[in-house]
Amino acid sequence: MTSLIIVSVLAVAVLYLGLFKYKTALLPVSVTGLLAAAAMAAMDWDLEKMYFSEMMLFDNYAVAFSILLILTTLLIFGLSRNYFEKISNNVAEYYALMLFALAGGVVMVSFHNLAMLFIGIEILSISLYVLAGIRRKDPASNEASLKYFLMGAFATGFLLFGTALIYGATGSFNLAAIASSGAFESALFRAGVLLMMVGLSFKVSVAPFHTWTPDVYEGSPGLIAMFMATVVKTAGFAAFLRLFLMAFAEASAFWAITVAILCILTLFAGNITAVFQDRFKRLLAWSSVSHAGYLLLAILAVGFSASSAVLVYTIAYSLASVAAFGIMILVSRARGNDHLDSFNGLARTNPFLAFTLTLAVCSLAGIPLTAGFFGKFYVFKVALAQGYTWLVVLAVINAMIGIYYYFKVIIAMYMKENANAVAIQLNPGFRLVLSIVVFLIFLFGIFPGLIANIL
Amino acid sequence: MLTQSLFYFLSFLAIFSALAVIIAKNPVHSVLYLILTFFAITGHYILLNAQFLAIVNMIVYAGAIMVLFLFVLMLLNLNAETEPQKPAYIKIAGVVSGGLLLLVLVGALKTVDVSGAGGTTATDMGLVENLGMVLFNEFLLPFELASVLLLTAMVGAVLIGRREA
Amino acid sequence: MIEKSWLIPLLPFLGFLINGLGRSRISKKTAAVIGSASVLCSFILSVLVFFELQGSAETGVTVKLFEWIRAGSLQIPFSFYVDPLTCVWLLVITGIGFLIHVYSAGYMHADQGFGKFFSYLNLFVFFMLILVMGAGYAIMFIGWEGVGLCSYLLIGFWYKNDAYNDAAKKAFIMNRIGDLGFLLGIFLLIATFGSTDFTEIFPQAAGFQSGDGRLLAITLCLFIGAVGKSAQLPLYTWLPDAMAGPTPVSALIHAATMVTAGVYMVARSNILYALSPVAMTVVAITGLATAIFAALIALTQNDIKKVLAYSTVSQLGYMFLALGVGAFTGAVFHVMTHAFFKALLFLGAGSVIHALHDQQDMRRMGGLKKAMPVTFLTMLLATLAISGIPPFSGFFSKDEILAHAFSRDPLLWVLGFAGALLTAFYMFRMLFLTFWGDFRGTAKEKQGIHESPASMTVPLILLAVLSVVGGFLGIPEVFARQAHLLGGFLAPVFAASQEVLPAMHVPHSTEWILMGISVLGVLVSIGMAWSLYVKKKRVPAEDTVQRSGLVAWSYHKFYVDELYQALIVRPLDALSGFFYRVMDKRFIDGIVNGVGSTILAFSSTLRLLQTGRIGSYLFYMVAGIILIFLLNYLIF
Repeated sequence: MTSLIIVSVLAVAVLYLGLFKYKTALLPVSVTGLLAAAAMAAMDWDLEKMYFSEMMLFDNYAVAFSILLILTTLLIFGLSRNYFEKISNNVAEYYALMLFALAGGVVMVSFHNLAMLFIGIEILSISLYVLAGIRRKDPASNEASLKYFLMGAFATGFLLFGTALIYGATGSFNLAAIASSGAFESALFRAGVLLMMVGLSFKVSVAPFHTWTPDVYEGSPGLIAMFMATVVKTAGFAAFLRLFLMAFAEASAFWAITVAILCILTLFAGNITAVFQDRFKRLLAWSSVSHAGYLLLAILAVGFSASSAVLVYTIAYSLASVAAFGIMILVSRARGNDHLDSFNGLARTNPFLAFTLTLAVCSLAGIPLTAGFFGKFYVFKVALAQGYTWLVVLAVINAMIGIYYYFKVIIAMYMKENANAVAIQLNPGFRLVLSIVVFLIFLFGIFPGLIANIL
Repeated sequence: MLTQSLFYFLSFLAIFSALAVIIAKNPVHSVLYLILTFFAITGHYILLNAQFLAIVNMIVYAGAIMVLFLFVLMLLNLNAETEPQKPAYIKIAGVVSGGLLLLVLVGALKTVDVSGAGGTTATDMGLVENLGMVLFNEFLLPFELASVLLLTAMVGAVLIGRREA
Repeated sequence: MIEKSWLIPLLPFLGFLINGLGRSRISKKTAAVIGSASVLCSFILSVLVFFELQGSAETGVTVKLFEWIRAGSLQIPFSFYVDPLTCVWLLVITGIGFLIHVYSAGYMHADQGFGKFFSYLNLFVFFMLILVMGAGYAIMFIGWEGVGLCSYLLIGFWYKNDAYNDAAKKAFIMNRIGDLGFLLGIFLLIATFGSTDFTEIFPQAAGFQSGDGRLLAITLCLFIGAVGKSAQLPLYTWLPDAMAGPTPVSALIHAATMVTAGVYMVARSNILYALSPVAMTVVAITGLATAIFAALIALTQNDIKKVLAYSTVSQLGYMFLALGVGAFTGAVFHVMTHAFFKALLFLGAGSVIHALHDQQDMRRMGGLKKAMPVTFLTMLLATLAISGIPPFSGFFSKDEILAHAFSRDPLLWVLGFAGALLTAFYMFRMLFLTFWGDFRGTAKEKQGIHESPASMTVPLILLAVLSVVGGFLGIPEVFARQAHLLGGFLAPVFAASQEVLPAMHVPHSTEWILMGISVLGVLVSIGMAWSLYVKKKRVPAEDTVQRSGLVAWSYHKFYVDELYQALIVRPLDALSGFFYRVMDKRFIDGIVNGVGSTILAFSSTLRLLQTGRIGSYLFYMVAGIILIFLLNYLIF
């Protein structure tokens, strides 16, 4: 709770800094604030505190995911120096909006009441609608913003409708009350569960509600796309899992098959379409869709092992995405676009970047010794434990398709030449963040026990 | 008896005007129909003894927001001619899918036993006093967080609307 | 202190990080100081751990760090286990490691990759410490692979020379063959005991029947790992080639520490081996065969480092002989004394090579006694030690092994004794060729001969002291009762297996006789070397001269490399060519490309759905919702 307050107040403080033109103080203040927020969140470990008539429950699940969200934001901020300045004059506002979005994310991982879930999702979404459209003179950015907004509003309608039906069936917004209401057979309840599933599926880009993802990622500035792929996706899945775990777990026999089918649809839609992409950002967007599919597998396994699996997976995915999007930003800035050909010969001009990107896509593809391997490993394990062997087989096939398109960029970097390529300059922020990410991907790839058993 | 016939009348009015919003060719007409829809819904709130909601709905939605819409539309000078023409198959697809969605939702909910629904049955829930009690006790946190939501939206609106130097 | 023993490997690792990351910015002096100091601190900590362990009643202490892998019921914690056996290795690794770090500072001072060298050395020490401190086979395996990696990096340290790179690859591949056996052994252990922890496996294993098939399979698999790492027949050929690395590396990795990892592993698993008599026999025979075989090759080698390399292989063979006859303490004792004198021999050889500007051929040496007195004297002491002259350290450890071998089977003693004669001969041959007679190199080389700097001679002197007195840690029963200090210290580690194995029974009179014979034989052998290489001033023939008979076989290392080339490498090449042309190109590629093009076709179709229009996107969404509802209400 303290961390939520810090993040919200920090956002307002950043706005004031912008008002008084302390531009140089923006980043240090944000970073300090976020560190404080992460520390405060860590203080709540094992306390299981309920806040404000059971509106929020800061259990270990909430603490772990809050810290993950805050630290990911911190990494993204580390890459942001001189980034917004090139896009707009209102730098402070963008930091503030990202912090507001983060506050929404923290609410989404700690809610204990459907009203809080809704408000959290909306805070996050509204910030993103604006952030997607930062490049005001770029039609693609405007289009991304508008598309995201219109479709997001549409999906929110379903989410709200579902919430209302659940209230009608159980008489409460409180997760514990819903879980103990015993109304699982009622048609109102079932329709409510399905509609909420639709609304949340949209937010985490599960097929067939994923269609906005590639367009919005492509139109948004790279750093915002990175934010969407990491913080937003993590918050969305944490909320999805928390809702289904804490409120709907008893009715799992009813919704599991739907989740399984969505999972297959998402895996195939994401992976197969990604094969044909020749722009790296779009490829990452489609891969982000496919990762939603793998994560759905964990939701099928109702139980606390699912929380651990999702935590490991989202950590691995966030780390790899920060690196992949970060290098995509550098390359497209230096070479004009993010076409896969722009990565040709990167291994010769920038061995460090090439290595980092290789590690990141290996982690995304789930190659052993990277964190991504254990992400997939735990997710598959919990799904197998629930008896979804056929689903895991399909997921493994998809993971193999994934390797095909992920390796396209490695091939471009190491095996194709680019005669007139010059080395890309890195600022210290990039160097630091990428080094941290490389270290963590290896660390969690070799010692998964550090994160796999904390929940 | 009177309540029941009022309910049917208001429902008819709401559905009819909602349909008219999407059918009308002239955007200004659409907005006017939307205002009518909101009026019908306000009527429903009154029937449900939710006076506070009724007033807010009337003032905020029908009054402020819709009037804003009208201004924008008139300033942009949109009319039937500038509206891009969509091919017929898209319209048909839209109608069919919308109809099917209605159908499945009705199908899903038709077995609902309304009397058994667990929700609160207190009829004076919508009065200002009761609403205030709930809002400032149990739902204090969402209420406060809504301010963050509004602030976010405000920052965003200013950001999008401001002229770039 | 034992609870803090995780600091011991951490310090060299920090040294590796600092030297490795900052190698372009750190000066040579700083790199040497950081590298050596980190190992010195580890040594001091090891000494503290040793004293604490000696004073405590406990056999071993487990230091649990964190959980590493949990899959189903299998749990592999990352933890260290410190007991007397670990402690001996800790002292040897960090103590000798420190001396060699100091020596390297002098030896490598002109090298460009100075910082890199120290970072690799530190990394090696780190992995070696993990290997001996791991509380289970899985952790041991990390260290096992890690030292293999460092060995590869350091053999190929001068990577611009292709032959060196080939040697590095050879070492790596040979080791991988052994590692496969080790890995299989670990899997079998998991299948049998459900754990890889020593403290869980050994008590369980003690309850098994002697000769149990599962234990036999496990011990044989583990032994394959030891054969690869410790360069035993038939996987020894990488070790002589590994001399391509800088000489301090040969001393540290390929003589004193890494190659004894196999001995450590078998000694650690003593209870498993004690319960598998067949495996014990295999170990003993492999060790003895290697000891004699390598000694025969060493007789005719002319490269000073090659002689020492084969000598190392041979001495490792003795250690395995000791393990095979149940003399676990003797094996560990020999590891320790061997570490002293063999590291000294290598460092001395390095000092000679350094003085002669990288000349390694003994036919180009001679008469260095005067010019390099410290090197000469220290090497003389080491040679006496390895030859088994009392009271130098090698005498005690070798005698213990041979006595145990005799109690097992007198034939083993005879063969072991023969090996000892060969050892004395080739070692003194090396010493005489190098330091006696006249200098046989060019005049220019002669002018440059000088004694090495203090940073190199001080480690030599310290190691010489150890080589001389190291044997007093294990004085046998015949001389004094209860004087085998090392045996007393290690007793709890081998307690369980000593109950299973038959006790050594050699009457004291017999042991006196055996000792006398071996000392006499060795003296005779040295005398022969003296008459050949000092009195008759014989110098080995040039490479171009045709040799005949046994000499040719020994000189050409029994053609083992050629045999492997013809029997394994060439058929494998041919097979892999066949697989590449037929299986891979035609068959697999056909399937993969077929699958690939199908997916591409799908992908290009699916891609068209992504129109970019909000209307169509919303349409998909609604269609999706309708489908979900239909699915839930109509079908199920």
